[in-house]
Amino acid sequence: MPKMNSIYTPKQAVITKIIEETPTIKTLVLKPEEEFSFSTGQFIELTYPGKGEAPFTPSSDPNKKEEFEVTIMKVGRITALFHQAKVGQILGLRGPLGKGYPLDSFVGKELLIVGGGVGLAPLRSLIYALFSRIEDFKKIIICYGAKTPQDIVYKYQIEEFKKPENVELRLTVDKADQNWQGNVGVVTTLLDNLPLNSSQAVSVVCGPPIMMKFTTWKLLESGFLEENIYLSMEKNMSCGLGKCGHCRLGRFYVCKDGPVFKYSEIKDIEDIWD
Amino acid sequence: MERLSKDFLVYTPQFINERDYDYSLFKEGFIFNPYRLISSPRQFFTASSSLVVGYFDSKIPRREIKPFAIVGLKSCDLYSLKIQDYVFLEGDFVDEEYKKKRETSLIISSDCTSFKDVCFCLNLEIKPYPQEGFDFNLSDIDRGFLVEIGSEKAKRIWEDNKDLFEERKDLQARREEKRKKIIEDLEKHLSSLGLVPQEKLYQLVKNNHANPLWQDTALSCVECGACIMNCPTCHCFLLSDEERKGEYFRGRIWDGCQYKNFARVAGGANPLKLRAQRLRNRYIKKFEFFKERIDLYACTGCGRCIDSCIAKIDLREIFKALNA
Repeated sequence: MPKMNSIYTPKQAVITKIIEETPTIKTLVLKPEEEFSFSTGQFIELTYPGKGEAPFTPSSDPNKKEEFEVTIMKVGRITALFHQAKVGQILGLRGPLGKGYPLDSFVGKELLIVGGGVGLAPLRSLIYALFSRIEDFKKIIICYGAKTPQDIVYKYQIEEFKKPENVELRLTVDKADQNWQGNVGVVTTLLDNLPLNSSQAVSVVCGPPIMMKFTTWKLLESGFLEENIYLSMEKNMSCGLGKCGHCRLGRFYVCKDGPVFKYSEIKDIEDIWD
Repeated sequence: MERLSKDFLVYTPQFINERDYDYSLFKEGFIFNPYRLISSPRQFFTASSSLVVGYFDSKIPRREIKPFAIVGLKSCDLYSLKIQDYVFLEGDFVDEEYKKKRETSLIISSDCTSFKDVCFCLNLEIKPYPQEGFDFNLSDIDRGFLVEIGSEKAKRIWEDNKDLFEERKDLQARREEKRKKIIEDLEKHLSSLGLVPQEKLYQLVKNNHANPLWQDTALSCVECGACIMNCPTCHCFLLSDEERKGEYFRGRIWDGCQYKNFARVAGGANPLKLRAQRLRNRYIKKFEFFKERIDLYACTGCGRCIDSCIAKIDLREIFKALNA
């Protein structure tokens, strides 16, 4: 019997490890049956067999070829199923899809990375990619905000992000607990007194829509240029191929033309933060 | 039609009531439809609900796509296939099933000899008679058909069936006369409606995103989705996974932007949560998005959305109001 293959067919990927990041967020380590590679910022469609698909941006180092990771927050029907999945279980994989971060255009620049909540997932992949050629970048400032200290993802390695000498890491939580010694407040409170030349620097932002909205406004106010603010747009990417029509944003399909956009490209489209 | 039935599943027009026609599998006899059918040709190329793939170790066999011939498409329908072709064939990802259906099917179109009240193709500069995109085109003349051959595939069929044809170059002038007449009649009908010229439609939508008209009009929408399901250029779908006896498969179901959850994401955010936003979205998609992407409006003037709307929302009236 000929095996059916089409642009809608998922390939197999087996779960080799599950990392509990927070009470609502898990990272699945996946080993694809066939060779798979992605550029940082590109996304995949992950299938729970027989139940459905959802889009995720891998959170792992794009230079690692054997396995990749996706960090999943439990928010709906499919993500809840992924949270119940066990090591050894086989999931479906389509991708990579969309366009990633334009790393080469960041060379020689100062970079500001702003993440909120599970939005650090794609940014972790970006951080790995940047770190693999760290000497190409003048300076990297990573700002990350979570709701509570418990909600911080990658707790076990986040301190490593500040190891390279041209990297600065700033963390904040909306609500502290008794052990939290750091900054308290939303992520935009980390964006004051940034030691960089904002009119030249590039910023990459990923998080919930409301966080991206206020971060973008703050960055514009601080002198960042519209074309230097990169945003990961969250829309209903269903087919991921620019055919099913769900993720239209102005003249773009987020799946095909994004998911990363410069603010200057989308600023005139209404409801971009909805 | 009988001869075609040997190699194709042949769909021909049938009466479904005193004034409308729809496709039906050919059995005998042939009815000529003077204007477009109820259904758009979209259903033949991406069925409203169909199995797309089985995956992993699925033993579900690939369905053989039997070539089909569809008879009775009008010029507006042929135009709509340009939009569908762009969606499913252009770019990095080609929908193989759609491609195969387009390649193996036979399209037999025909001139309009009349029109429905809702027809306004000419307003969009689409002529009521086919000029491209068909295999055969039929012009109804003197109880017979003047047949124009529009493809290599059609030429081969003609060569194998020459006994059914007679060369009648002399009828071309009659065809032109009839075509002139239908244009005149349609122009007369459309000018009585005072429609907005097509070159203004793009800017009218683009400049009116904040117009309260969307809200006012959407109030009467009952979200039945008839406009999207009947539209020949609508193409949106969702993929739906199922498991049956341990085998996994993925189906495709038509979806559309007038449904509430169309743009909703898992976290609950929904950029099209209001009916007014969804109504506006339909116009942005058809008159801005496609115009910017491929310099075509995704509207054929077939009027199916007007015909099928129980709330009597009329695209032509919306443009008139935006233009007022």
